[in-house]
Amino acid sequence: MTNFLLMSHAVLGSLLGLAGVWLFVDVLNAKEENQARIRMMSLIIAGLMWLTYLLAGYFYVVYYSADKALILKGPWTFAHDFFMESKEHVVMMLLLLATCLPIFAYNNLAANRGARKIVLWATGLLILTTVAMEGAGAIISMGVRVALLCK
Amino acid sequence: MKNIEIGKYGSSFGLSFAITSLFSALLVVLKETSQHTVLAWMKAVTPHHWITHTLLDLILFVVLGLALAKANKGQGIKISPNRLNNMIVGAFVISGIIIAGFYLFIG
Repeated sequence: MTNFLLMSHAVLGSLLGLAGVWLFVDVLNAKEENQARIRMMSLIIAGLMWLTYLLAGYFYVVYYSADKALILKGPWTFAHDFFMESKEHVVMMLLLLATCLPIFAYNNLAANRGARKIVLWATGLLILTTVAMEGAGAIISMGVRVALLCK
Repeated sequence: MKNIEIGKYGSSFGLSFAITSLFSALLVVLKETSQHTVLAWMKAVTPHHWITHTLLDLILFVVLGLALAKANKGQGIKISPNRLNNMIVGAFVISGIIIAGFYLFIG
């Protein structure tokens, strides 16, 4: 169950990034015909972000302390000291940004250049940060592995 | 295509995001540098300081967003989309730099 929780938040995070790319491309080609799909995708992204946050948060609060102890005893202490500490706090901004997306996308993006620009930038930041989160997650996992190998 | 406003909730919650984002980053620095006071309080309020941090961010984001939407006799704050975009992106980037910089050089 623990492994399932861990993997599910990583998988959902990847889906979030893919959904972000979808939304970005759709907004780049915003027309009257794809407004409904843009709004639906922005809602899906917000939903995925909340689900990912809750699952990752549950894992972090309940199970991560054991991993943290291992990492800090191993050679890759930066996996916690920098990557996990940064990740757990930057992801809060990502949650709020993803929550804002459906509010921004409620505008007619085919007619409103300002709203379109905001959605594009917000989605771009979301995609880049999601990729960075996945990378940080991989380094944290490696920190645990390296610590176990050195035992 | 026109560069018109983005609606009162878009402007309000966009600005709320920018402010909350900076608040969250500064709270990271504050709690890590005040472990016996701020961090201890955050650990006491909920089972984990991270949960308290999340709740504080969410409360500020929602309350500020709704308050800003009620400004100007219910019409919401007036801000150009370009300026709002700069604030959102700027706050996100600066907050990220504050957090990463703190853990890289100080934390």
